[in-house]
Amino acid sequence: MMRRVAVAIAAAFTTAAGAVVVAQAPQPPAPAATAALARANLAKPRAKAPFDLTGVWLHGGGADNSFRFSPPTGFKLTPAAQVHYDAARKAQAENKVYRDDIGQCWPAGLPLIMTRVWPITMMQYPTVIYMVSEFMNSLRVIYLDGRPHSDPDVVVPSWNGESIGQWEGDTLVVDTRFFVGHHHWVDSGIPASDAMHVVERIKLLNDGTTLQIDYELTDPKSWEGTWKYTKRWRRVEDRDIAEVSCLPDLNEHMPTTKSGANVR
Amino acid sequence: MSRRAFRFACVMMMVATAAWAHHSGAGVDRTKTVTITGVVKEFRWTNPHSWIDLEVPDAKGAPVVWSVEMNPPPYLVRSGWKASTLKTGDKVSVTLNPIRTGEPGGIFVSVTLADGRVLDGRGAGPAPPRPAQP
Repeated sequence: MMRRVAVAIAAAFTTAAGAVVVAQAPQPPAPAATAALARANLAKPRAKAPFDLTGVWLHGGGADNSFRFSPPTGFKLTPAAQVHYDAARKAQAENKVYRDDIGQCWPAGLPLIMTRVWPITMMQYPTVIYMVSEFMNSLRVIYLDGRPHSDPDVVVPSWNGESIGQWEGDTLVVDTRFFVGHHHWVDSGIPASDAMHVVERIKLLNDGTTLQIDYELTDPKSWEGTWKYTKRWRRVEDRDIAEVSCLPDLNEHMPTTKSGANVR
Repeated sequence: MSRRAFRFACVMMMVATAAWAHHSGAGVDRTKTVTITGVVKEFRWTNPHSWIDLEVPDAKGAPVVWSVEMNPPPYLVRSGWKASTLKTGDKVSVTLNPIRTGEPGGIFVSVTLADGRVLDGRGAGPAPPRPAQP
């Protein structure tokens, strides 16, 4: 009896071991090296980039370099956006603040994240540029490796959007789309919808000390035509960015965001 | 002040105003200042804003907590601040731009410490020297 049990147990182990061997036999193919920082992707031959944005940049401010993306003269909004714009103007006339979602810790999103007057660290590789704003440590990724925009039915919308860049002479042209269309503003009372499309023409000027971006903003759900702006940043060599988080208890101590002057 | 210096000062004021804000300051009356004297309930040295909760007696002597919103530490350091500048229990006077609604709070302008030193928060001074690198 004992011998028959031992044989049965040995047979069971043999079968299990065999099953393991069989399961290990087919090896899945190695994943394609499509990631921006995959070694094979980085190693592909490419033309040398005309400039390198790596460094820390601070929006310059000034009368001809506003941190705002105000509507241009003669602008026309869609009816849906006009409701917000009118409400914002009413709030302003009453010394109130209309839907200051950034103050409530929602991400600033493109384009405002670029001009928060907090430094932005940029790291450029042949295949990708990473931008980290010190403001809430917001991450922006610009792919340079030739990939197209993602399938609209698959891409995850974000406040900074999906950015694809390509070099045109001495200019980096960046096409960004697939934005989150709620709690996202271009200016006070000007909503950015999920249909917003941003084109940036980026140049490095003044011996690499000035970054200039020409903006073209379209959003058929919010306004008619194309809104254009030019913004400039200066290279800062004496500042690193730090961890900056909008924590749940922050606004309990911020009179500007907790006061009755806020129109939600 | 020369025209060029005036223009520079205007630009610096715009930058200083915008730099710290993670939100709109439209609800704050920048044309007015209010000075309050009280006891520090809490001082937080943090990003994106440092802040002071200051207990100030009202007209009947009951303590009211005023929320005082400040620049982030990198600006305060350039104005001579350190994390240890304020401690809970310190008696200080704070000058601020008040919230328009009359709620107890506003944007920090300056503080007069118990030892008489006056510090602003604009961050206009030079960056402090860093420790020598090895």
